[in-house]
Amino acid sequence: MHAVRNIRLCTKDCICLFVCPTGATDTETGQIDASKCLDGCRLCVDACPSHAIFLLPKNYAQKPEKSRVVVGELRAIARSKAKQEKLALEIASSTSDSVVKQIATTIARSNRILQEDLYRESGFMLPQDSVTKTFLKEQLEKNKDKDFPREAVERLLELL
Amino acid sequence: MEEDMREMLPEELQAVCSNLSKACSKQMREEEAALFGKLSAYYGEQTKEQEGSTFEALSSLIEQDLSEGYPKASKAVSEELDRGALRALVWGEKATKFLKSLLSRYEKQGSALLENTSVYVCDICGYVYVGDKLPDVCPVCKVPSFKILPVRKEVI
Repeated sequence: MHAVRNIRLCTKDCICLFVCPTGATDTETGQIDASKCLDGCRLCVDACPSHAIFLLPKNYAQKPEKSRVVVGELRAIARSKAKQEKLALEIASSTSDSVVKQIATTIARSNRILQEDLYRESGFMLPQDSVTKTFLKEQLEKNKDKDFPREAVERLLELL
Repeated sequence: MEEDMREMLPEELQAVCSNLSKACSKQMREEEAALFGKLSAYYGEQTKEQEGSTFEALSSLIEQDLSEGYPKASKAVSEELDRGALRALVWGEKATKFLKSLLSRYEKQGSALLENTSVYVCDICGYVYVGDKLPDVCPVCKVPSFKILPVRKEVI
């Protein structure tokens, strides 16, 4: 686990620079140098007066399995939101009225966020979870067309 | 799970993957985030054109979500005692009501609705705000307002 700085919260009190034994917190990008950061040290995390530093785990526990009822209900609503996003995008791309376009774009964006949240709660929360890996493997098997980004999916299965 | 997957449309797979891309970004895994982004874009290109895209068609789907979809799902999910899923439904139902309100205000006021004002979408829950003074936190999910983003007017 190494430390990560949320630059938006950082109030530049620089205590992390004072406590870090390796100098990992002092970089030109404002991010903490992971290659220098000591695994699990957390001196900077505890010292930061603005709570802007946290530890990012390397490994994540498998999530409890979602019930079929929950998955079914959330995905049914997500499907309706997907339809709405698509309708809104089509309205946005076919209009010559800038207000109609702005409203349709707003509705499309909101619907995408709603879908993402529903999918997250229906089992796709953690990219490293077996639900995600099974999904990726299925997509590899199913999609044989030449445009399918096969290498991207294979690389994901390698990385996750 | 396999059966559920087989039924998913490209537009649904697109959102599954954009969600996973965001999850990777939160873990500072930018390579993985970009790969999920690429997969999401692929599914986006596979979606089929649909006819009859109107605000009326949108309103009727929103109405259906509010009168049937959310009440049915919330009841079923409460019985399963899945509080995370229930949270998504509570936020989603509220955000959907704001979408309904946006469309009904536009129906009444027409272009005047956005004439001298901005429109925003909460990047976390989908809440929609019309106006010039954002609340400090999102009224639906309570995220600080810097995560509520403007939808810019394009010059056509």
